[in-house]
Amino acid sequence: MLAYRNISFLIFSVVTFMLFMLNIRYGSVDLSWTEVMNSLFISDSYSVHGEVIILQYRLPQAITSMAVGMGLSLAGMLLQTTFGNPLAGPSVLGISAGASLGVALLVLMGGITGVSMGSNSLFFGDFGIVAAAFIGALAVLLVIIFVSGRIGNAVTVLIIGIMIGYLVSAVVGTLQFFSSSEDLHSFILWGLGSFSNTNVSQSLTILILTLLISLATLFFIKPLNALLLGHRYAVSSGFNVKILQTIFILFSGLLIALGTAFTGPIAFIGLAVPHIARSYFRTSNHTILIPAVILFGAGFSLLCNLISKLPGYDVSLPINAVTSIIGAPIVIWVIIKGRRLDIG
Amino acid sequence: MELENTLLELSGVDTGYTNSSTEIKVLQRNIRCEVKKGEFIALLGPNGVGKSSLIKTITGMVPSLAGNVFIKGKNIRHMSNREIASEIALVLTDKISDTYLTAKDVVLTGRYPYGSFLGKITKMDIDKVIKGFDVVGAHNLIDRYFHSLSDGEKQKVLLARAVVQDTPLIILDEPTAFIDSPGKIQIMKLLKELVSKHNKSVIITTHDTDMALKNVSTVWLLGFNKEFYSGSVPSIIDEGLINRVFDVDGVSFNKNSLRFESI
Repeated sequence: MLAYRNISFLIFSVVTFMLFMLNIRYGSVDLSWTEVMNSLFISDSYSVHGEVIILQYRLPQAITSMAVGMGLSLAGMLLQTTFGNPLAGPSVLGISAGASLGVALLVLMGGITGVSMGSNSLFFGDFGIVAAAFIGALAVLLVIIFVSGRIGNAVTVLIIGIMIGYLVSAVVGTLQFFSSSEDLHSFILWGLGSFSNTNVSQSLTILILTLLISLATLFFIKPLNALLLGHRYAVSSGFNVKILQTIFILFSGLLIALGTAFTGPIAFIGLAVPHIARSYFRTSNHTILIPAVILFGAGFSLLCNLISKLPGYDVSLPINAVTSIIGAPIVIWVIIKGRRLDIG
Repeated sequence: MELENTLLELSGVDTGYTNSSTEIKVLQRNIRCEVKKGEFIALLGPNGVGKSSLIKTITGMVPSLAGNVFIKGKNIRHMSNREIASEIALVLTDKISDTYLTAKDVVLTGRYPYGSFLGKITKMDIDKVIKGFDVVGAHNLIDRYFHSLSDGEKQKVLLARAVVQDTPLIILDEPTAFIDSPGKIQIMKLLKELVSKHNKSVIITTHDTDMALKNVSTVWLLGFNKEFYSGSVPSIIDEGLINRVFDVDGVSFNKNSLRFESI
C-alpha cells in the first residue's frame, strides 16, 4: 500500500513536470524542443524570437497555471473538509464570484481608484487587486458560514452558493453598465478567465505564496482529519473548531483571491481535484490528501491549459470551457454518489 | 479520599439553550449529582426532555445556564477543549458521512488530544489503536472503510475511538439505537467490561430501558416537570419513579419484567 502510494506520487510528479514542459513547448507559434531548452537553460540563445515567447509568455503562463491549480484545489479541499460538504468549492459556492465583485469594484471604478487592469508596472495595482479579491471572497465565505451553520444539507448549501454567485454577477453586471468602455473591456477579458495575463514576477509571486500556504496547511493534518468526523467529534478530540474554521477560511480565501486576482474566475478545478485525489488514493486522510491535492491540482490545471491551447491550431479555447467540460461531470457524479450514500 | 473518587460533579446545574438574544429555554433546573470512578450510569427519560442537552452541558459543549460542572474538582468553564478531551470521551449519534475514512483513521482521532498539536502519529498511538480494536473485539475491522460498516460495527469502532482516548469517563448518546438485538447485547456487554475490567466510568442515554436497567449500576432520570432523580437501579424501580417520569396513557412500567407494558 505504502509502496503503491509512493510510486503513484513519483509517477504523477513526472507527469506534471512533463505537462509543464509541454505547456512551454506548445502554443500558436510552433517552437522546437531545442529552442525551448536553449531559452530555459542557456542564456545566450540563438533564437531571440523564441526566447521572448518562452520566457515572457509561456513560462509565466505555465507557472501561473500550475500555481493557481494547486491553490484552488487546496482551497476546495479545505472548504470541503471545513464545511463537511463534498460539494464545496471556490466557484460553485460563489466565492470566486465574490472575489470578482471585489475586483470589479476596484477596476470598474478605475476612474476613482486609479487602478486599472493594465497598470502592471505598479506593485500597488497587483496588491490592490489581490486585496479586493480577498475581501470579496471573504464576504461570500462569511455568508456561506452563516448559511451552512443553519442548514445541514450539502445540496441546499450548494444551491444557495449558486444563487449568491448569480446575485454577485448581477451586481458586477450593473457596475459594468456604469463604467468606462476601456475599464469594461479589460474587465470582461479578465472575467473570461485566463492563465496568460501574468508576467514572470507575478507568476512567481502566486507560486511562492501558494506554496507557503500549502506548507502551513501541512501543520493542520490532525485537526483536518478530526473535522471529517463532524464538528462535535472534532471538539471531542480536543480541538477548537471555531478557531480552526477561521484559519481554514482565511487560507482558502487567500488562495482563491490569489488565483482569481490574476487569472479571473476559474471554474470547477477547486471542486473537482480533491474528489479525483480521494478517489485515486482511496483515502480522505489529509496526510496523503494534502500532497495529492497539490500535485493533482497542478497537473489538472496544466492539462486543461494545454488542451485549451489546441496544439496544432491557430486559435485557443477559453480555459473555463475546458475546466467545465471536465469538472461539471465530476460534480454530477459526486451528487449522484452522495444520493446513494444518503449524504446529499 | 471521597473527592478523589469523584470524577464529575454537577452543582445545581440548569440546562437549556439560548434561542436568540432574549429567549432562554430552560430544560432542566438545579441538577445535583456526581459520577464516581467505576460507575455505570443510564440517563433515562422521555424524548425531548433534555437528555442530549444535559450531555452537552456535562461535556462543556454548551455552557450551563446556572450552576457549575466540575471534572475532578476543576470547573469545566475554565478548561480547554483539549483538557476536557483527556477526561471525557464521547460516542455521539452524529453521522460520519465521509466515504474514504478507514476505521483506523476514525479511531486514531481519539489519540489527537495527546502528543503535539502539529505532531506526527507515534508508534505508541498505533499500538494503542490496535489495542483499542482488540478491547471492542473489532480487530477485523481495522482496515475497512468506516462508511461500509454496519451500524453495530460502526458503534464498536466509535467505542474503540473512545477507549483509545484514555479518559476516565466515556459518555455515549444512544449507543444501542439502530442496532439489532444481538448487537445491542454485545455493546452493553462491552460497556460493562469497560467498567469492570478497564476501570472506566460510563454514562449512556438510551431508550432500551429494560436492557439498561439490567446492566447499569446507577440511573439518572429526567422528567418533563423539571424533575431529576438519581439513584441505584433497585431504589429507582422500587420508588416507582419510572412511571412518574414516563407518564403515557395506557402504558405502564412493569417492575418485574423491567418493560413498559400496556394496561
